[in-house]
Amino acid sequence: MSTEKNTDKSTSLYAKREKIYPREVHGIFAFWRSMGVFMLLGIYYLTPWLQWEGHQAVLLDLPNRKFHIFSLTFWPQDFFYFALLLILAALALFFFTAVAGRLWCGYACPQTVWTEIFLWFERKIEGDRPKQMKLDKAPWTAHKLMVKGSKHTVWILFAAFTGFTFVGYFTPIMDLAGRIADLSLGGWEWFWIIFYSVATWGNAGFLREQVCIYMCPYARFQSAMFDKDTLIISYDKDRGEPRGSRKKGVNPREKGLGDCIDDQMCVQVCPTGIDIRDGLQYQCIACSACIDVCNTVMDQMGYPRNLIRYSTQNADEGKPSHILRPRVIIYALILLGFAATLVYAIGTRVPLGLDVLRDRNRLYNETQEGLIENVYTLKIINMDEKTHNYILSVSGIEDIKVIMNRPRIQVASGEVADVSLRVQADPYELKSRSTNINFKLQAADNADIQVESQSRFLAPAGIK
Amino acid sequence: MEQEIPKCQKTISVLWPAFLMAGLATVLFFTAFDPVTLLQETRFADTSRLGAYTVGFFLFWLLTTSSCALTCFFRKPCNPNPR
Repeated sequence: MSTEKNTDKSTSLYAKREKIYPREVHGIFAFWRSMGVFMLLGIYYLTPWLQWEGHQAVLLDLPNRKFHIFSLTFWPQDFFYFALLLILAALALFFFTAVAGRLWCGYACPQTVWTEIFLWFERKIEGDRPKQMKLDKAPWTAHKLMVKGSKHTVWILFAAFTGFTFVGYFTPIMDLAGRIADLSLGGWEWFWIIFYSVATWGNAGFLREQVCIYMCPYARFQSAMFDKDTLIISYDKDRGEPRGSRKKGVNPREKGLGDCIDDQMCVQVCPTGIDIRDGLQYQCIACSACIDVCNTVMDQMGYPRNLIRYSTQNADEGKPSHILRPRVIIYALILLGFAATLVYAIGTRVPLGLDVLRDRNRLYNETQEGLIENVYTLKIINMDEKTHNYILSVSGIEDIKVIMNRPRIQVASGEVADVSLRVQADPYELKSRSTNINFKLQAADNADIQVESQSRFLAPAGIK
Repeated sequence: MEQEIPKCQKTISVLWPAFLMAGLATVLFFTAFDPVTLLQETRFADTSRLGAYTVGFFLFWLLTTSSCALTCFFRKPCNPNPR
């Protein structure tokens, strides 16, 4: 059995590793994978250019500490939604992993997507696998320098555009583009554009499968979400073995051979350089390139397809596979629960915040009229897109009096207002030393924008 | 056993978890504290938010990297009688 590896030993910057030259592949899964790359990169590069109601539709405006997502604006106080979103994303990953294995890795992970596009550039410029290997072995000539040079130029330009787009999510991209044109960017913006570009170039151009193998935590723990019914890519050992080369048209059974012609194609197309025939390995990102290439070979040989195919461990053992099983149902229920919570929370979100702080210096005052007075500071945060006037009402004690340090509460969009407040009550209305009182704040022009907050009203001992 | 781990994996196992945690720490820290308010009374008052976030991130990264590197360092077997 020959074991020609998909690799060539070379010393890279990071460690001694064998460089992988994945062979180009055509087929139904390759088609869907390129569609995925096209769509995801399209979303990434176009989103910052979308406009919505006069502002950038998706702008995570870090310099001004607010996130615009279409008609919603989020403030640091809304961190809760962000946490919920992250939990949701993790749960979705669990769910899809349990059902379809490493679908994410093979089709949607940014590492895979950018590596695909970088490989595409590389193939267009250097040629397919054999040409790339030959070029790398060849001595440095003017031609090699030119080919390598143009590859890196294209890579770097694409990476730079990626870095620019990345920063465009955080500062308005139109403005950014204008300032790049006349080279008047701020130092930090330059820094992040270059940092992200270099990271893209390094990850997609050089590190590639090493990111999946050494850096990705998901690759390490995804096996915990696998069971015998999870979709995996597997080689049909019973049908393929014993492997061996043969001429076309020869009946393999007469030669005592299985259907695997041992042409190493599945190894050559593998972006992580493994041999799928050795069984499921954690390096496998389920990109299904080996399925496509093996099917092409099977077609040429006139054998049935699917010697390598999507399967489950149960199916491989001849047992029935189940899509609906406790693990999947539980993941789905938790996922739905969190998704519903997030939608509900955002749907009923009130763009107004109210904190009531009691004056710490004095518990209470007695006024000349014999009333008991407590002092509070209200912190009012207007998280809406426009300025509002607010109406404050305090309840909890009969005939409670409120004296404010300003005639009206007007807060501009995104501003925090401190309102100082003296609250007075008749001691005869106070039942105890501490009475709960309720502050209600409502926008004058919109009754839906309303929040309440509780505090305590303190009085001297011996009341009543 | 130590020799079997590639140098690439060793380096990454220090820098990468540190990077992830530094990112998380940066997000949490700057969600709670606005750098403009924090730096108001200091000589860094001119720093823009973007600058403060950047410097904050790299300081966090330095901190988490030191922590990861120390873990690696202390994982070395103690051998009182080297041959």
